[in-house]
Amino acid sequence: MNTTLVLAAILFLLMTLIGGKKGARSFFAIFLNFGVIIFVLFFMNDPNINPIAVTIIACAFIGCINLFFINEVNIKTITAFMASIITTVILIAFIVIMAEKAMIQGFGEEEIEELSIFSLYIGIDFVKVAASVVIMSTIGAITDAAMAISSPMREIHYHHPDISRKDLFQAGIGIGKDILGTSTNTLFFAFFGGYLALLIWFKDLSYSPGEIINSKIFSGEMITIFCAGIGVTMVIPITSWITAMYLVKIGNSAE
Amino acid sequence: MKNITRNKIYFYIVLSICIAASVLFVQNNDSFYERTIAKVKEVQIVHTEKTTDIYDNEDRLYEQRITAEITNGKAKGQEIRITNQYSKSKAYDNEIQSGQKLFVSIKDEGADNLSGDILDLKRDHYILLTGWIFILILLFVGKKQGLFSIISLIINAVLLSYSLDVYLKNPEISLLLIGSAAVILFTVTSLLLANGFNEKTYAAIIATLAATFLSLLITYLVIWLTGGKGLRYEELQFITRPYKMVFLAGLFIGSLGAVMDVAITMSSTLFSLYEKNNSIPVQALKRSGMEVGKDIMGTMTNILFFAYISGSLPMLILYIKNDSPLGFSLSMNLSLELARALAGGIGIVITIPIGLFTAIYFITRKRAQI
Repeated sequence: MNTTLVLAAILFLLMTLIGGKKGARSFFAIFLNFGVIIFVLFFMNDPNINPIAVTIIACAFIGCINLFFINEVNIKTITAFMASIITTVILIAFIVIMAEKAMIQGFGEEEIEELSIFSLYIGIDFVKVAASVVIMSTIGAITDAAMAISSPMREIHYHHPDISRKDLFQAGIGIGKDILGTSTNTLFFAFFGGYLALLIWFKDLSYSPGEIINSKIFSGEMITIFCAGIGVTMVIPITSWITAMYLVKIGNSAE
Repeated sequence: MKNITRNKIYFYIVLSICIAASVLFVQNNDSFYERTIAKVKEVQIVHTEKTTDIYDNEDRLYEQRITAEITNGKAKGQEIRITNQYSKSKAYDNEIQSGQKLFVSIKDEGADNLSGDILDLKRDHYILLTGWIFILILLFVGKKQGLFSIISLIINAVLLSYSLDVYLKNPEISLLLIGSAAVILFTVTSLLLANGFNEKTYAAIIATLAATFLSLLITYLVIWLTGGKGLRYEELQFITRPYKMVFLAGLFIGSLGAVMDVAITMSSTLFSLYEKNNSIPVQALKRSGMEVGKDIMGTMTNILFFAYISGSLPMLILYIKNDSPLGFSLSMNLSLELARALAGGIGIVITIPIGLFTAIYFITRKRAQI
């Protein structure tokens, strides 16, 4: 039996056992997201299509899957969706600049030996691909944080319909502060775990600190971690603001 | 009140001094490097050419002639000439721009005009810049909690580096054992720093550790029973040590953050329900806990999925552009990442019932004490 298949089967079993119908839907969402990644891959292989455009469209699809498919279309998910897209667009502008300046695209000298059989002149803009990778690694965490803020804000507005826009915004920021530590932590450990082999490699081959910091792979990973952190932090005020605007405006016009 | 604002002002002054000093330092730290650094003064493109590889991929090659000034070491102040080739796609080359700093090797010592090759780029100030932007945004949005999360991240990074040192010095101790010790320390420090010393935190710590070890056990058993079939360890990069152990330890640490997140969400929800209504029945706690668990499990598993899978995109593009079949490219590049994401997902999902029961245990114990 294939190990990945067995793990997938166990995950599916646990998710339906614990989450019921919603659990099964969450499991199916992973598959849909995998499908989106395959599509991204497919479009990025065309040198005439801008990878950044592909990424932004893909992020919109992923937002739909994570928010509208797992949950449902309602005020909470709509505001979370808008906030995720706005954050993604701002973040991607920043990342493109950083990736271009720091030149962290493509492959490092540590990887190049095993790639000697490949032709590297394939006409794909790897700087843009690098920026896409950073955004795609963070999109799951961004939609999660957006949902974690818009959902309790909706509850607060429901229980206190007279709350002012400013107070509701402040409440959103307050919730955001509470989840900030855990969301950055989730991402950091995920990346640390993925880079464990690399860290051991650097230490084993006794790289000097200067060589580690300036190497393409390490600085690429550090910039990814920081940008991911910037993304999940930035989504907090953006979601709070959009949700506050949306909810309080609707409240007023109904009166 | 006055004291608080004064402390705040001190804090911002110290922070801005730190930023200014560190930025100044990395811009002028060339003499601390052993490798020779040169600052690019002039760049000229001397040759361009269109290429087509055997798979009909079109690209453009450029040749640059670079004049740079050496900024450290014996040859400081001297000019150096470098030629650099790069392609439009830049998979393994870079377009050098003037003003940039490069690590170079000097080839022709003694002559008036030095020549050399590019070893690497100096990237330290970009890392510093993004790092500071991250810290500032975190402080701006999170204030005190932001500061605590920065401290907890720094402690975790130091702990990780230290435990790797211990492993490298004592290779006879299993990486999993050291990883386990590190995981306990990570969990205790992160959760205590974020939530303080209280029963809510203790419940989350116990749930995190139980769920992490249980999920590791499940993954280990699955890999053992299936003989690791379908896992392409040969694609695990940067391997200097027994690869299975490195993979398992990475998987273990990678899911820890997500598991902690779920555990603290479960225990905060249940404790806040209990605090609002001290006599809330256990059945009601169970029901609410499971509802919250259902809500978070989908998005949490997707966080890990994207964090792991996206990194393989550049390699996948390279494979496919080199005419590798899609199935082969996917299984080569994604088998380990998928296994990691699925194992992390298993950890997240089993944290929900474990977190529920530890929190209920602590709540009933607290109730009995009153």
